[in-house]
Amino acid sequence: MMANKKVKLMDICWYRSGDKGDISNIGLMAKTKKGYEIIKKEVTPARIKAHFKDWVKGDIVIYPMDNFCALEIVMFGALGGGATKTLRLDQTGKAMSVGLARMEVEIDEKDVKAVIGPPYDTMANPEK
Amino acid sequence: MKKVRVGAGSSGWPDYKDGALDVAEHGDVDYMAFDHLAELTMAIMQNQYQKDPKRGYIPEVEPLMKGLLPIWKNKGKHIKMVSNGGGANPPECANQVLKIVKDMDLGGIKIGVITGDTIPLTKLDELEKKGFQFKNMDTGEVGLEKVRKKLLAAYVYIGADKVIEAFDQGADLVIGGRLSDNSLFIGPFMHALGWKYGDAYWDRIGSGVTVGHILECSSWSAGTCSNLWEQIEYPKGNPGFPIVEMYENGDCIVTKTPTSGGMVKVLTLMEHLVYEVHDPHNYIMPDGISDITAIKLEQMGKDKVKITKYGDAPRGKARPENLKLCVAYNDGFIAEEITVISGPKVFKMADKAHDFVLKRLDYLGLKPREVLWSLVGWDSLTGPASKARPDLEHEPPELGIRVAFKCDTREEARVCRTECGHMCWASTGVGTGFTSPPDIRPVFALWPTLIPRPEVPLKLDMVEVK
Repeated sequence: MMANKKVKLMDICWYRSGDKGDISNIGLMAKTKKGYEIIKKEVTPARIKAHFKDWVKGDIVIYPMDNFCALEIVMFGALGGGATKTLRLDQTGKAMSVGLARMEVEIDEKDVKAVIGPPYDTMANPEK
Repeated sequence: MKKVRVGAGSSGWPDYKDGALDVAEHGDVDYMAFDHLAELTMAIMQNQYQKDPKRGYIPEVEPLMKGLLPIWKNKGKHIKMVSNGGGANPPECANQVLKIVKDMDLGGIKIGVITGDTIPLTKLDELEKKGFQFKNMDTGEVGLEKVRKKLLAAYVYIGADKVIEAFDQGADLVIGGRLSDNSLFIGPFMHALGWKYGDAYWDRIGSGVTVGHILECSSWSAGTCSNLWEQIEYPKGNPGFPIVEMYENGDCIVTKTPTSGGMVKVLTLMEHLVYEVHDPHNYIMPDGISDITAIKLEQMGKDKVKITKYGDAPRGKARPENLKLCVAYNDGFIAEEITVISGPKVFKMADKAHDFVLKRLDYLGLKPREVLWSLVGWDSLTGPASKARPDLEHEPPELGIRVAFKCDTREEARVCRTECGHMCWASTGVGTGFTSPPDIRPVFALWPTLIPRPEVPLKLDMVEVK
């Protein structure tokens, strides 16, 4: 039987987020190809919505970017009105990516090594 | 193959000035581009300009140019520059630079001044009367009626057309207002490499738009705010700015000077290529629409990344028919207060303070439009996506409690803060809370829409010191 292990997205991805009006967008970059397969399948609009609860009021659209093994996640109505209107401390949602990176996904125990990948300093190659 | 080297010089109202000077001194660049504007900076600039016709540009341009222009002169005046620091008043910004050139005895300079990106509010009324319908790009709302009385300013994100024309006429420096961040790089690419707006060039311009996005945030592509922060060093506290060597065919190399700190890696560029792009297949800029999924990054050596095509798809498509028009309006005032409370039982204390504030607003009959309560050091940045609260033994020794109010008037915001912001004394065991709260700030809100290009005639003037 497959043994599953929970890992946080921050263990298998890099991330950066920004804003445009009331839209928060998060770039989630898998550290490995295997990790990309997993996030493409597991990181869905429904799961993201459940994760951010009432902080994301509108739709969520996800664009896979095969060239970077990354997901471009666009969340509407996600910044409390947008940079100049919001009451939030993080007006431009720079930390929204960290919030998402706390989400957990289940992976097969035998894949853990392949998904977490090599340490940062050896990473230079987009082919992964 | 023809090539051109363009360096980033700024990415905000102020930026690390030494980063720009380092690029000019050690970057072997042909062009430098200076972005100074965030989404609503133009509203602030127009507000200043209306109060004083000598203001309304980015004041930071002056110290920056005082540092840069002597280097420019020493390099034989080879480096051409383009800046959107003119804000709502490019002519005055240019005057000040001319004055600096004279005062510092730097000889001659030619400056191209671009105007026309600011749209008078009466022009919006005229267009609506003619039957033109503005549609809010975010909400879908049609017509400016609801916000008309609260309008502050209107400005259009413009492309590189006039930048290229200015360089054609021999400009050393081009100063504009709401030149899109991206056009500050497209202008140099197109001028130096002979690219034209047309079918033969959209692929290359697309690549330029993508690369412009990498450079427009300066140090952000060269290691600042990176996931790799633990291994990125700034030996002298000196972040480096990225430089692109763009080739005629749209391929390029992104690098930085060896004299600066930071790092240019595949990852530092990738981090920025997934940042604020929304639909990566259609990254829409006034000069072209790029496909960020159509490029490949390869590390060629230390601080050297090559960007080429990924597959056969074109890297860009024709520029859009319409331009983005930002209409800024006043949407009330925000007041906030932060107090740091001391444990033990910080969470229980914070909850009691929250309850106290809500009760007191009610008791005093205060009705702010919105109230946000958050715990700084716990959930203020990520809200519901924060960690679950720990048990008493593992809770932090102290915690910031923050309350923010949004009201229609400055006075209401002030009353909410003074009456209900100082919440700690009644609800916590220790009377901390000694800092002055941040100033009450007006809310400049944005109503983004589109306007057809022909409705935005731009003007180029050349001014000079002989």
